[in-house]
Amino acid sequence: MRAYVALVWAVARKDLLVEFRTYERLTAMGAFTVLVGVLFNFSIDSAVVRPQDIGAALIWMTIIFGGILGMGRTFRLEEEDGALAGILQSPIPLDALFLGKVLGNFVLLSMMAALVFFVFGLFFSLSFSGNPVVLVAIVGFGVLGFVSLTTLFSAMATRSSMGESLLPVLVFPLLVPLVVYGATATQRLFAGRPVVEVSGNVRMLAAFAVLFTVAGAWLFRFVIEE
Amino acid sequence: MSHKQTRWAIGILGTLGVATMIVLHWMVFFWVPTESTMGIVQRIFYIHPAAWWVAFLGFGIVGLCSAVYLWLGDERLDRAAVAGAEAGMVFTTIGLITGPLWGQVAWGTWWEWEPRLTLALILWFIYLGYFLVRRTTANPEQGKRFAAVVGVIGVLDIPLIHVSVTWLRSLHPEAVILNPESPMNLERSMGLTFGVGFLAFTLIFACLFLASYTVAGYEYELKLRDANPGGTQRAEA
Amino acid sequence: MSFGLEAIGLVRNFGGLRAVDGVSFQLQPGELLTVFGPNGAGKTTLLRMLAGVMRPDSGHVRVAGAPADIASRDWRHRVGIVSHQSLLYGQLTTTENLMFYGRLFGLTDLKTRIPERLESMGLSDRAGTPVRELSRGLKQRVALARALLHDPEVVLLDEPYTGLDPYASAVLREQLAALKDGLRTVVLVTHNLKQGLELADRVAIQVRGRFSSVMDSVSLDLTGLEALYQAAVENPA
Repeated sequence: MRAYVALVWAVARKDLLVEFRTYERLTAMGAFTVLVGVLFNFSIDSAVVRPQDIGAALIWMTIIFGGILGMGRTFRLEEEDGALAGILQSPIPLDALFLGKVLGNFVLLSMMAALVFFVFGLFFSLSFSGNPVVLVAIVGFGVLGFVSLTTLFSAMATRSSMGESLLPVLVFPLLVPLVVYGATATQRLFAGRPVVEVSGNVRMLAAFAVLFTVAGAWLFRFVIEE
Repeated sequence: MSHKQTRWAIGILGTLGVATMIVLHWMVFFWVPTESTMGIVQRIFYIHPAAWWVAFLGFGIVGLCSAVYLWLGDERLDRAAVAGAEAGMVFTTIGLITGPLWGQVAWGTWWEWEPRLTLALILWFIYLGYFLVRRTTANPEQGKRFAAVVGVIGVLDIPLIHVSVTWLRSLHPEAVILNPESPMNLERSMGLTFGVGFLAFTLIFACLFLASYTVAGYEYELKLRDANPGGTQRAEA
Repeated sequence: MSFGLEAIGLVRNFGGLRAVDGVSFQLQPGELLTVFGPNGAGKTTLLRMLAGVMRPDSGHVRVAGAPADIASRDWRHRVGIVSHQSLLYGQLTTTENLMFYGRLFGLTDLKTRIPERLESMGLSDRAGTPVRELSRGLKQRVALARALLHDPEVVLLDEPYTGLDPYASAVLREQLAALKDGLRTVVLVTHNLKQGLELADRVAIQVRGRFSSVMDSVSLDLTGLEALYQAAVENPA
């Protein structure tokens, strides 16, 4: 068990090390986030719609669009000079490889999500007086579910002639429950509704995240092996 | 089954399916009485749920065959999954066309985020992804496995999608105008028409499924023959 | 008599095509087998099966007389691979790359093991250099250090000379020659007859998935090999 965790961590650590050396994905996702915030701001006619009302909904769409951008590149760095073939030749179990990739992506996407909340909070003057732990749980489970699905499918997209443009087509339909429960819960919290009103959402998000992390860990072997 | 028997089976299923479909339409238009509360538009109800049923049946087949294909690697399961997806997509498309027609008259809008209609739209896109990933993967063996993974994930997600869109819908109670399941004055003739509708669609689905499955089998055999011109190695998967 | 590495009747099909068709060979510990063959002869497939990355449809492998389960995770600990790609991360340094691979193999003494290996391969001054800044030749040397980090009994070399200039090739040749320490068994795959013959104890020519007889290299010079190769490619068995 400890050896297994060490393997998962070795993969995540390597991915993060590469990322913090190049900042390729974080730069892309970060710039995307801020720029989308700016464009959303210009696209809203505040005489008709109050930006605060739709801010929380836009946060989720931005996390998903920005996330797709970064997650699509998950296996690009592995294809360079055959690094993935090297990993596949090593004794690491493929589910551990998947979980390591998910963990690395989870860290990156959580950082982006934090930035999205900060930027949108600033741009749309959102105020949050609710329970921060619940908000973190909602976003955390949401990000985990998202990352599990996109990690699995980005391995496929990398080997498709459509490349990364295939990823949204595959993933967006599957994300419906995540958007429904995540975005509504976030909007309720920002609207100052009590925690009881979102506890069901948190449970559904947790179920979604656990289901697709486990399913992904099992199915990954069929995606990654040639 | 030999090739000849299969062709006969497809022919019989197709003939029966078309015949039942003609009978169904005769029943819907000329035989069954008009339902009192909803009027003439209610007649689409004999066709619509039956199309849904086979659309979901198709996806059930995709999910099940995909999972077992990944497990056992038998080519026939992959062909069955594709056949299920092809037939399923045809009927999902039919559902997506007839749904708004019904909605326009029953609800007064072309598109309503009614859970079943929403689910069908999403299902259609999952089918699309299934075919896209299959077609665009350079290595066809890999493409089959990728598609199977999409099938399994899709079937796991569909209950969650269904629950979530139903829940979301329940947040806007004022928007629910007509529930198709609300008590209607169902006469026996209506129940019979309803049953004939399910039978007709299931038969045509079975015909399409079997035809698509068989053609894929022929294609596979041809490919084997091209790969081994001598015909010495007949690897049956 | 037990052999270092023994392959018996390895077969692998790809969707009806037979990429490797009943390959067998026996190697003493310390011996190097070079497999020659044109593109598409199934050499890489053979190597991938020996590496345990790809499952043979039939056939098996024995090491030191005992059956080895090449599909098991355990087998991976006993094999090292050098390919024409470096299998390294360009953004990470030499040490970071080796640390990562060492962890994948569950090695715990990496803090001492890695500097030792770098020292013995003349890479110590490159320990902190990102791999993408290394020359092709140095990169290939790091790749070799990576493949040997977990002290495998079997070393597989897939066109290791690709892209190297004559000097780098000569250096790599020296280091590959050092692999023949009497304990390890090495399989080298290439289509370059000269480079392949230099190090070989035994030679095989693979055409359309099949081995022509496995020969001792003592009895072969380059001209003789060229003639044999020509004949094997033109008239496959």
